[in-house]
Amino acid sequence: MAVIEVNNISKSFGDTRAVDNVSFEIPKGRIFGLLGPNGAGKTTAIRIINHILIADSGTVTINGYPVSPKTQSMIGYMPEERGLYKKMKVGEQLIYLAQLKGLSHEEAKKKIRYWLDRFEASAWFDKKIGELSKGMSQKIQFIATIAHNPDIYIFDEPFSGLDPINSEMLKEIVIELRDNGSTILFSTHRMEQVEQMCDDICLFNNGKAVLNGNLREIKQRYGKNTINIEFEGDDAFLDELQEVRINNRSANYAEIRVLNGQSMQDILKKAMNHAQIYKFERVEPSLTEIFISTVGEDNINPKELS
Amino acid sequence: MSLRQILLVLKREYMTRIRSKAFILATILIPLGMVAFVGIVIGISVWDSDTQQTIGIADQTEVLYPRLEEMAPDRYQNLSDLTQDSLRTLVQQEEIDGFIVLDESHIGGERDPEFISSGSGGLKLQNTLRTDLREVIRNERLARANVSEDVQKIYESDISLTTTKLTETGKETEDDTGFLTIVGIIMGAIIFGAISGYGGLITRSVIEEKTNRIIEVIASSVKPIELLFGKLAGIGALALTQMTFWVASLLGLAAAAGPLAGLFLSEQMSNMPQASQTAQASQGIDPEIFSIPAIETSLIIYFAIFFILGYLIYASIFAAIGSAVDSEADTQQYMFPVMVPIFVAYFIMFQTMNNPDGTLSVIGSLIPFCTPIVMITRIAITDVPFWQISLSILLMIGTFIGTMWLSAKVYSVGILSYGKNTNWKELMKWIRQG
Repeated sequence: MAVIEVNNISKSFGDTRAVDNVSFEIPKGRIFGLLGPNGAGKTTAIRIINHILIADSGTVTINGYPVSPKTQSMIGYMPEERGLYKKMKVGEQLIYLAQLKGLSHEEAKKKIRYWLDRFEASAWFDKKIGELSKGMSQKIQFIATIAHNPDIYIFDEPFSGLDPINSEMLKEIVIELRDNGSTILFSTHRMEQVEQMCDDICLFNNGKAVLNGNLREIKQRYGKNTINIEFEGDDAFLDELQEVRINNRSANYAEIRVLNGQSMQDILKKAMNHAQIYKFERVEPSLTEIFISTVGEDNINPKELS
Repeated sequence: MSLRQILLVLKREYMTRIRSKAFILATILIPLGMVAFVGIVIGISVWDSDTQQTIGIADQTEVLYPRLEEMAPDRYQNLSDLTQDSLRTLVQQEEIDGFIVLDESHIGGERDPEFISSGSGGLKLQNTLRTDLREVIRNERLARANVSEDVQKIYESDISLTTTKLTETGKETEDDTGFLTIVGIIMGAIIFGAISGYGGLITRSVIEEKTNRIIEVIASSVKPIELLFGKLAGIGALALTQMTFWVASLLGLAAAAGPLAGLFLSEQMSNMPQASQTAQASQGIDPEIFSIPAIETSLIIYFAIFFILGYLIYASIFAAIGSAVDSEADTQQYMFPVMVPIFVAYFIMFQTMNNPDGTLSVIGSLIPFCTPIVMITRIAITDVPFWQISLSILLMIGTFIGTMWLSAKVYSVGILSYGKNTNWKELMKWIRQG
């Protein structure tokens, strides 16, 4: 049975349809990536799943229950905009937040102590949030999300604003949580993180879910229609290529999506005439490429994808 | 709605604030500040009345000046030998504040005395002069009329008014209107101050959760309406704590002040020279004179009711304002229309002081947005018909339900919207959406 089931939800704000008839389901024990450019409707969908917003139509069930205050406590949610009460002490604040999720004071205190120990942050128990560094408060934020021991975790843009150390730590913990049987939903507009972590994905664009399913299957479906090329020399030849789309281009690297049966051998020849080739590889397309080819080049602003 | 969640929010709002240094300081400093303010006002008026004007008297009757001199030797200066021209010069040079030429026709009552001045002194001086002249001329005429001593005594008798209030039960009580007016004004002013002060605190608290960005974490655990109720109740409890502390210390001070003042004064008496002591001794000093009249318990209960209801009505509005904006600077456009009725009520209150049963006061006390301030002042001063009190309470409860309903809608949308430049049109949309 799916842990999170989203059926045909829509939500409008005034004239804008933020989420437009979206459905997907997340099986137990998987990492599910919700991706798409900024403003695609990811956060609105997540807020509906968290019962912060109510969908205009459609249903969401968590472990079989329609969303309600009861399902809220099954979820550990870290919003994109993170924040804590600056004037409250770390311990007090974490206990308060865990109590709001249904834990008793005693339970909450025990759990908070455990997690603070684990993050080597026990000494901060009586410190005010305002006194902590940014990296420290990111850890506290993370403890606030997981302390009530939910079996579903939802992270909205979890890596934005994280320093590299915390970013790596979060990645490890997310994978560890999944391996312990928890279900994780996270949203991001950074495709490479999705490729590294996700089992399943759902692509959002303009409020609609344009692509949905198992990441590996989706990639296989596209076949090895992409060339990764590394070279040294004049890169002007890339501009002369016809019937291709070039993503991720830099001075000595390019990801070339081959369109309309254009011969890869011809591209290799052309490249050899102009530059020193270090690597020429046929691969499955990157998620960025999949996204662009799904929604069409004209329908997105490529700058929103990085 | 879950009571557990509301109580958790309430407890947090209350506990984090009551321990804060700012709250403790404010609780101690605000009354001290008020005492200092009243002290300064009294100080200014005392210091002010000390300024002495000098009035030149050109007395052609030779009998009126000695009488004036007897009354107020510092105020009147005998300038009878000077001409009118030199008197005018003295006024222009500001040697004297003004002068009056008195002659027989004034004693006869054929003409009114004329006061020529540089214009300083104001109404108070004119009043004083009028009273003084009336008295000396009357006394002179009495003396000339050669009336018996009995008649003269009649004129000398000074009447002061003692007042007694007849209550509905027919019992005659000492009338404390003067004292109760002050109590009423203080209570009205406290409610006025508390509504604006705590209203501001609510707005800031909502904005703080928005700018801290913790609101979304909270919203994933608590319904907006639970958060709103918890917040109003928590800060309301804080307000009540502060009030209770202030009222208790005020009553404590008042209870201690009476006997202390009596003690202090009777000690002074005993240090006085023997002669005057014997004169005073027969009267004795009764400490009771200095104790304040009792404030009825019902008045304190009404104060609590109107304070709580007034707080709730305005706090719900202030919370909605906080949720609609991103920073405190943006609150202006919404604060103004909310503050208008509070200030109108405050001004009506001073009208109520003079005429507690006037049309303006009655209407003001029944308009829910003005009730808390105007009604409590009326109740303190006069016997307000019970139907008016009950009606005003019912109207306030109804208004609170209305403002809370609207506020909850604005709040639940507002807390999650950032960066939008909200305006009234947008708010209307939220209310329809919510």
